[in-house]
Amino acid sequence: MLLQIARFEARYVLRNPLLLATALAAFLFVGAGLSVDGFDLGNEGGLLKNAAYATLRNYAVLSVVFMLVTTSFVATAVLRDDETGFGPIVRSTGITRADYLFGRFAGAFAAAALALLVLPLAILVGPLMPWTPAEQVGPARLADHLYGYLLVALPNLFVHGALLFALATFTRSLLAAYLGVVGFVAAFFLLQTGFVGEIAVAIAEPFGGRALRDMVRYWTVAERNARLPAVTGAFLYNRLLWVGLGVLALALVGVAYRFADQRMTRRERRRLQRSRDVPAQATRRAGAAVVLPAPQHGPRALRALLWMRTRFEVRQVVRSPAFVVLMAWGTFTTAYALTTRDTPGRPSVPTTLTLLPDIRDAFAVILLVVAILYAGELVWRERDRRVHELVDTTPLPNWGYVVPKTLAMALVLATMLVANVGAAMLFQLAHGHTDVEPGKYLLWYLLPAAWDALLLAALAVFVQALSPHKTIAWAIMVAFVVWRQFNQVVDHDLLNFGASPGMPLSDLDGAGTFWIGAWTVRLYWGAFAVLLLVGAHLLWRRGTETRLRPRLATARQRLTGAPGWIAAAALVVLAGTGGWSYYNMNVLNAYRAPLAALARQAELERTYGRYAGLPQPTVARMTLDVALHPAERRAVTRGRWRLRNETPGPIAEVHVRLLDDALELVRASVAGARHVVDDRALAYHVFHLDVPMRPGEERELSFETRRWHRGFRNGAPDTRLVENGTFLAAEHLVPVLGMGREGTLEDAAARRRFGLPARGGRPRLEDTAATAHATLGRGWTTTDITVSTTADQTPLAPGRRVSDEVRGGRRVARFVSEAPVRQSFAVQSARYAERRRTHAGVELAVYYHPAHGRNVDRMLDALAASLDHYRTAFGPYPFDHARIVEYPGWANFAQAFPGTVAYSETYGFTADLRDPATLDHVTATTAHELAHQWWGHQVTGADVEGSMVLSETLANYSALMMLKRLGDEAELRGALAYLRDRYLAWRSTGGVAEPPLMRVETETWIGYHKGALAMYLLQARMGEARVNRALRTFLERYRFRGAPYPRSLDLVAALRAEARTAEEQALITDLFERVVLYDLQVRAPTAVRRADGRWDVAVPIAARKLLVDARGAEHETPFAERIDVGLFTAEPGSAAFRAPNVLVAERRPIRQGVQVLRFVTARRPTHAGVDPHHHLIDRRSGDNVGRVAGPD
Amino acid sequence: MHRETTTHATTHAAARDAGRGTMLRLHDVTHVYPNGTHALDRVSLDVPRGMYGLLGPNGAGKSTLMRTIATLQTPTSGAVRFGDIDVLAEPERLRRTLGYLPQDFGVYPRVSAADMLDHLAVLKGIATAADRRATVETLLHQVNLWDVRKKALAGFSGGMRQRFGIAQALIGNPGLIIVDEPTAGLDPEERNRFLDLLAEIGEHVVVILSTHIVDDVADLCPRMAVLVGGRVRLEGAPRALIEGTRGRIWTRTVARAELPRVREQYEVIATRLLAGRTVVHVLADRDPGDGFAPADAGLEDVYFSTLAGARRAA
Repeated sequence: MLLQIARFEARYVLRNPLLLATALAAFLFVGAGLSVDGFDLGNEGGLLKNAAYATLRNYAVLSVVFMLVTTSFVATAVLRDDETGFGPIVRSTGITRADYLFGRFAGAFAAAALALLVLPLAILVGPLMPWTPAEQVGPARLADHLYGYLLVALPNLFVHGALLFALATFTRSLLAAYLGVVGFVAAFFLLQTGFVGEIAVAIAEPFGGRALRDMVRYWTVAERNARLPAVTGAFLYNRLLWVGLGVLALALVGVAYRFADQRMTRRERRRLQRSRDVPAQATRRAGAAVVLPAPQHGPRALRALLWMRTRFEVRQVVRSPAFVVLMAWGTFTTAYALTTRDTPGRPSVPTTLTLLPDIRDAFAVILLVVAILYAGELVWRERDRRVHELVDTTPLPNWGYVVPKTLAMALVLATMLVANVGAAMLFQLAHGHTDVEPGKYLLWYLLPAAWDALLLAALAVFVQALSPHKTIAWAIMVAFVVWRQFNQVVDHDLLNFGASPGMPLSDLDGAGTFWIGAWTVRLYWGAFAVLLLVGAHLLWRRGTETRLRPRLATARQRLTGAPGWIAAAALVVLAGTGGWSYYNMNVLNAYRAPLAALARQAELERTYGRYAGLPQPTVARMTLDVALHPAERRAVTRGRWRLRNETPGPIAEVHVRLLDDALELVRASVAGARHVVDDRALAYHVFHLDVPMRPGEERELSFETRRWHRGFRNGAPDTRLVENGTFLAAEHLVPVLGMGREGTLEDAAARRRFGLPARGGRPRLEDTAATAHATLGRGWTTTDITVSTTADQTPLAPGRRVSDEVRGGRRVARFVSEAPVRQSFAVQSARYAERRRTHAGVELAVYYHPAHGRNVDRMLDALAASLDHYRTAFGPYPFDHARIVEYPGWANFAQAFPGTVAYSETYGFTADLRDPATLDHVTATTAHELAHQWWGHQVTGADVEGSMVLSETLANYSALMMLKRLGDEAELRGALAYLRDRYLAWRSTGGVAEPPLMRVETETWIGYHKGALAMYLLQARMGEARVNRALRTFLERYRFRGAPYPRSLDLVAALRAEARTAEEQALITDLFERVVLYDLQVRAPTAVRRADGRWDVAVPIAARKLLVDARGAEHETPFAERIDVGLFTAEPGSAAFRAPNVLVAERRPIRQGVQVLRFVTARRPTHAGVDPHHHLIDRRSGDNVGRVAGPD
Repeated sequence: MHRETTTHATTHAAARDAGRGTMLRLHDVTHVYPNGTHALDRVSLDVPRGMYGLLGPNGAGKSTLMRTIATLQTPTSGAVRFGDIDVLAEPERLRRTLGYLPQDFGVYPRVSAADMLDHLAVLKGIATAADRRATVETLLHQVNLWDVRKKALAGFSGGMRQRFGIAQALIGNPGLIIVDEPTAGLDPEERNRFLDLLAEIGEHVVVILSTHIVDDVADLCPRMAVLVGGRVRLEGAPRALIEGTRGRIWTRTVARAELPRVREQYEVIATRLLAGRTVVHVLADRDPGDGFAPADAGLEDVYFSTLAGARRAA
């Protein structure tokens, strides 16, 4: 019986078009992900499209998507009978409860499991498409699919199928099932990230995705491509737990479900009692004497109509179960976005403006869904409820549908946004941030978000009104949204429905003047939306007619009167705002279509690329006068550059070009030269010297540039020059000399498209010719910069401030640097508060937004401590000042300029360090950036492989040693663990071949993270004094040195000069010239009491050392090295661990394979460890320490 | 403004006066569905004030005709006028004086009878809260749903729902009332009560009642039409139509086994079981003999003979 029921149910489900549609959509989606270049689904970086891990992720993620199927079919397998009223017939047939329940479940589940087979099909077929990039496809492996289907997807389908079925059947409510879906999705997304190393999290996440991810966390690309994780540990427990819960849920329903008392709760029975038939005969005989009020059709009636209809529609929406689900979903996404907004371990103060982008992004999708979904529901409501024949024959005008339905949608969207904002405010208060700013929420989030959602709703209403079927219109809207998301062709805000120029926010500058453009274009689309709604009014589907033509016939007639006037007014607004926007975007500002912008870059390279190697003079001294007019967003720079020929030959041409599109060259001249190329379109200028510059000779280049952000432009606005918080770097103000790679096309596909040759990487380390160029082309110079701005702002530039005064209503300051500085500088201006401190002859200062003072003292402390340490360790500091200058939070980084650190307001100023357990990344970052005053601003590397070592590795090492000096063990341990995890996690996503540290190109996880770990290990082995002596020697040799610029090889040579033993030399080789991994493990150590009362301790150790070759393959290599071992009376790294807990700490020779180390100790150790403090890079660091067994 | 200040009594009277001479005229109304079905084929009717019965079997095009008159559907060709209103050109004007009870209608979930009636009253232009209260109260009492006015419509029985349907059709004293198959699914008592209500209203305005139950029409309608296959096959006053068949309907009681033979020999228009035997009505211009006796013809015989005629023609 059970089988027959199951078979019937499966057939029923399999015939359902929704199932087929979902399966087809999944097939196309996965197939596209597996075939289209750049569209990756389960691919988490640099893998083959059908890599083993990508396949498993696809199974995990799509089994989440398949909840659509389980809720629609599996969960409702029994509920459906009650809804169709067929239930009593089925239940009176004498089948048993178990047959009925489990038969239905089994049938629906089997159908869903069958539908799930589209996955392997899509993964197998996708890569066969002709457009699939062949290099991204590996061999198809059956084992991946068996693993993915049987261990990931099918158990998941069973788990949520069973739990949702149980929920729906038990509560007899579909709503409960939908809330269950929200719970599942929430659990999936909440538990994907964060909580590193928590096995409980991997077990708790119901889809096993987190467990999979944890297992492969440190796997390389090659491993992820071909290896399947073992079914052990958290993954195994996860599967067992959840499948068990699914079985339990089914069993509970089997016990609790009742046939007889069909779905009649006491409340329902009572309700039925009350609505028992009222007999007809008892009626009063009402004759013609009854006079009913007559209808009216004047304005008052229409007002009543509008009010009633709106209230009615709103009530319908708000009371519908779907609304509850959506609100739950919205609340969850907000909570999720807010709790995960910070980088793990780096909490920040939840200021209003920093929260807004987070909640906006989190909520965007839900608003989209509501706008599209409810437009369909509302437009079709009368018909769906079959009241359309009642309502459509009333004299209700067409706008009586359109307007209230649109208003209802507006109200629903606004309600959701208010709830969203409320959650954000609660979050702020919960974090002790009492400066809740309702006005900002309203102006910068609620209104724009509601407006944009309404625009979409208006479009959806219009499409629904025209479409013959609700689902067709939904499909059109989904297609539209997808197009809008991925469209790369049309980027003009006046052509993309609902688009508007960006409105970046910051505490320093608020919404600046950006809101003007944003709202002008919003108004433009608003007028367009009104036209759409008038169109919906004219063409409203009424009665049983679904054809469009009869409606078109009457539309013109309906246009007369108010609709016509409204349409005319909307047209006027549309034309006005459109014209004004066009003037701003295309006339006041240059507009380039995306393709045109690329074409221009290609043109630049084609025309002037041949000058790339041309010897150019260097800038010996820059004299600049920068006049900032922040309110007008205008800057005029007059410059006089002393050029010197430092090349061995004569120079006949000076090439001057601008990198920033927004920068204009007003005039330029070189003494004794003709301006032979004046290419304004490509911003390229050539000055031909009448008499070539001899080596060592100097000339003067004088110029004037201007940047002026008039009105507003298309797309994202330029945020460099704003009313309060200007942050202009060199390329935003002045030209560069000579043709280089900057400003040319980078993207490989774009280069192919424009017929440009593929671009190689950085020059090789051995390419000595390349040592003539500094990293980023910025060599040494001296500067004299005068900055003027409005009187209430503080102008800042690198150099000693020699004057600072207010003249003629403007504040003018002059900064002179006699010490050489690189040609990278920043000019900043804002209404700053200022905190200074003089420390050891250097003026330390922080310039900050008055509301952002909370971490300023910490920054000053860090500057002072770092200054002391670096001066002692590495050598003198070249400036009499060290400044930290805040800039608005539309970017999120800190950057070192000569004597100055530009610091984003969201990076350090809003960091929340009240919890002492939090890593103090403000101190770490400040130390790192100040270290750049030595590493980067005293030595700068040649533009070859490994140049990052000379800046970022050394800066990060310096900061690490600073933290060590400050003496907080936990802090240092945390920082090292962070570096290790970043390196291991990111190396697995970085492509197949991992360069050794010495040859790092752009891989930050090598240059920053591995580099710092390498230097830290080196100083642990060689001693900090010797390492620092090597650094000092290196620095002295290359300080302020021009071409040939130093390379990472020179640093390695300096370190080798300090290494005394072959072991130290070998270590340097491993750290800088190779990619080395260790796998060290302590196995069941024991302690036995000796006769003399001491303890014999035996520590078995298994050790492997792996060399990673250039293709990413690992080779085990024999080794014999002295490695730290230790015996402890507490677990190292735990909170209770202190120095007296160390019984033994020494370096013992360790070789490959298993070996037993023996010790005699006075006290019994509880833990034994090999490399217990994780100085070596070991992917499984959890087994380095073992608990000692044996009697106490 | 003027209209809003007029008292109920005068508007009511005015509406009645206006309705007095009003007549619904259909001229050559043809409707072809996109799939090619000729639902209506050159239907022309003049419908005067009072109850008008539209009789026809299932699928005859009754509901299409009703929906066309009720502005829910635009016919392929033809004209519909109500008084001075060109219904196809100005559906809005007709809707101001239209009451329509569809054959089948649904309800909004979680909405009570009173709320729904109130809502529909707004849609029909009963603007003030006081007017609506009066309307809703009167109508709910009239159809005897007062006691359950606060219950959700979704929980109503078929009869209760139908009574609600007629209540909403009466809002605002319409000049044209269209009721489509209103008695289907009602028990006899419900049906009588319902028809009483209709008869009462039918004294003053045009009421079109579509049905496939002959008795509905026979009891109530001074005029009627029979629609078969989209065409009007018969039109007139029931009494006159019955008169027209007098002497052509013959009856006989036969055993079940005999029935096939009788069907073969005579034009059987109706059979009815009576106490285990079959009463047969046949159509014949002369006495067929063979045990047949002249039948006391009713509207049912008229109807069935029309259907038989239509079948022959087809």
